[in-house]
Amino acid sequence: MVFPTVQFAVFFPIVLALSWALMRRQNVWKPFVLAASYVFYAAANPLFCVMIAAVTVGNQACAQLIHRSPDARVRKRTVVLAVALNLATLGVFKYYGFFATEINGLLDSAGLGLPLPLAAIALPVGISFIIFQAISYTVDVYRGLITPATTIDVALYLSFFPHLVAGPIVRAREFIPQLQSPRDPRKVAVGAGVALILIGLVKKVAIADFLAREIVDPVFGVPQAYAAPDVLLASYAYAVQIFCDFSGYTDIAIGLALLMGFVFPQNFDRPYRAASFGEFWRRWHMTLSRFLRDFLYIPLGGNRGGKWKTIRNLMITMVLGGLWHGAAWGFVLWGAIHGTALVVEHQFRGKVKLPRWLGWLLIFHIVVLAWIPFRAPDLDLAGVYVARLADWGPATLWTAPVVIVTFLVIALQLAPARPMDALRVRFEALHPVALGASMATVILLVAATVSSQGVPPFIYFAF
Amino acid sequence: MSTVERDPFILDRPTGRRLRARDSVVCVFVAALLLLLLQGESIRSTGEKMDPGIQRTAVLAVGEPAGWLADRLPLADAVDDVTSYLSPDDDLTGGGAFNAAPAAGPAAAAGGGTGGGASAPITTDSFDPTELGVNGAKLPQLKTLLVTGDSLVQPLDVQLARRVAGDGVQTVRDAHLGTGISKTGIVDWGVLSTQQAKDRSPDAVVMFMGANEGFPFPGAGGKSIECCGPEWAVVYATRARRMMDTYRRRGAARVYWLTLPLPRDARAQTVARAVNAAIAVAAQPFRSQVRVLDMTSVFTPGGRYRVAQDVSGRETIVRRPDGIHLNDAGSAVATGIVLQRLRADFETLGS
Repeated sequence: MVFPTVQFAVFFPIVLALSWALMRRQNVWKPFVLAASYVFYAAANPLFCVMIAAVTVGNQACAQLIHRSPDARVRKRTVVLAVALNLATLGVFKYYGFFATEINGLLDSAGLGLPLPLAAIALPVGISFIIFQAISYTVDVYRGLITPATTIDVALYLSFFPHLVAGPIVRAREFIPQLQSPRDPRKVAVGAGVALILIGLVKKVAIADFLAREIVDPVFGVPQAYAAPDVLLASYAYAVQIFCDFSGYTDIAIGLALLMGFVFPQNFDRPYRAASFGEFWRRWHMTLSRFLRDFLYIPLGGNRGGKWKTIRNLMITMVLGGLWHGAAWGFVLWGAIHGTALVVEHQFRGKVKLPRWLGWLLIFHIVVLAWIPFRAPDLDLAGVYVARLADWGPATLWTAPVVIVTFLVIALQLAPARPMDALRVRFEALHPVALGASMATVILLVAATVSSQGVPPFIYFAF
Repeated sequence: MSTVERDPFILDRPTGRRLRARDSVVCVFVAALLLLLLQGESIRSTGEKMDPGIQRTAVLAVGEPAGWLADRLPLADAVDDVTSYLSPDDDLTGGGAFNAAPAAGPAAAAGGGTGGGASAPITTDSFDPTELGVNGAKLPQLKTLLVTGDSLVQPLDVQLARRVAGDGVQTVRDAHLGTGISKTGIVDWGVLSTQQAKDRSPDAVVMFMGANEGFPFPGAGGKSIECCGPEWAVVYATRARRMMDTYRRRGAARVYWLTLPLPRDARAQTVARAVNAAIAVAAQPFRSQVRVLDMTSVFTPGGRYRVAQDVSGRETIVRRPDGIHLNDAGSAVATGIVLQRLRADFETLGS
């Protein structure tokens, strides 16, 4: 089920009302919200619920074994097994086709006719988010940061519908404690939740989908047909589209959770104002950044093993971070570009001091450039796309709305936060009836911008 | 990648006052009530367009009473007037609607309709001069190519556009997801094809559609014609023939209509077989301009569904996991077949 749809508009008010009505009776509330979350997920494909249930049971069994075993070796083997099983699940659903094709190609070129069996495997929506959260639970139990929760709490943690399909990646130790006592019905951040939902809707439907339709999809689809001005504008527009699409989803997810009394971590903080790559990754997909930091970069040794190990660890982390987005060489290249940029930045830290504006200009354009292989259907087309940047010709897609929307979103990220925050806080302080009326008005306006094709899926649903 | 001391939470930033749980429910229900009053008709029509299932039932359970209420209030029209300037869709206001003529069953369907009748007039444009070997007959130039259909046409549309971009061909990609010839709720292809032909005047039209077929047609006496018997195929073929006639623009354009590779699901295979049979019959009067490109035997030889097949000497997955659509590799195979046929019909296309 996608948030900005009639189906969800029917689903959510009923679930919200019943959730608060049942909140004090936790033995009823938990099965109810769990069932609602599975219904939400089953809307995509009921069989996917089997996968999420199996991941829940497997990780809970490992967590219990880790917690109960006095033997450090058993605990270590169990956590390794749990992580391996989680990654194997991800591998089968997400990467099998990619690796089977690549390995078969290698075998063919070596003259070895031993092809791996090919299968068209349906990718469960949001599987990467579910698996990362499952790993976070089991590893945090192993590290002694949390004790194993009840099975229903783990099931709710992994399947809670606001963050189920595209994050934010909520850590077990952030969410499970919120399940251990009923949410306080006297302190609900209603205004903040509504504001986030509305901002997210506008970002996704009115901005991201608009830019995709008007410029990004045509140019990235057939770059050969467009000259440099269109290709250049489409590059900026895609940077804005992916930000608005993904941060729009997480804004809605965080807002829905707030209305239900739950608090999620922040996932975006105006990333295009970053003046360094380190800063960019503290502002872009923040929950993935900290997951990669805590579960990959630091376990690899972080920056503790000297220059070359730091470089190695940064590159491994960023390339795997790229591959996490999907089984394609474009994502690997995107991760490698960011990894290389972080390495370069690390090596020159303290030696070269750029003015902030120049740092911003440089970082922003490298980020925009790196989005090209991320978005292009394959590396060949990414190459064609970049080559078109040198082929000057007429601008056929430069319309005023596209240009204004693209550069306004970038400019808003560079503007001081205080006036916008003040405006948001004033909105959040409105009476609940006024908040509801505002919500209806914004939904009506946003719905009017939807084409007859409906709302396209969020980009990160595929990851 | 430096370590952050504490991970930020959304409520760390300045926020408005905290309210009660009751207020969150009030807020959401006020919004829902206003939307029901203002958009009840739209909720009902969204439900009606959905495929049968529990989601459709749930949406209609809300949409039907909301639509009934909205029908009696003037609010929806007022909202449409205020917000219509935001709509990205072109108005489909032209003629040619499938449902414009009174439902009269397959017998009337077979005999009626402009250009769609069983006895289409035989005129000079029924013959292809190059096929007849007429001296001096030149292949036409391909300037505008329209690639259209439902979700099946993606990513064939974009692959085709890339392949012909170097030949100076302008490709118009116009996919309408979730639509079908037997499903006029979202898009009436009778109107749409008329408008596409009028607005774009394409020299060639590539049509790949059929993922959402199998819906009943309105028949005589208020009865519906269920899929997938000969009666259903007659109405489907009649509608398809009318679209072919529209697209061929009295012989000025060529139409390339792709048949359906059989889907995995047995029930969907029955629909696909009826659609394929109807396409073949529909194209008969226009064989000099309408090419039926056989995807059925390419992807499902012997009527057998398969996931992978030999492509350029290597076993390759050609279908998507849904068992209906072609994936990138499968679409590339289809693109090659379409291009081969386009090259035979047009002068300007290179390799």
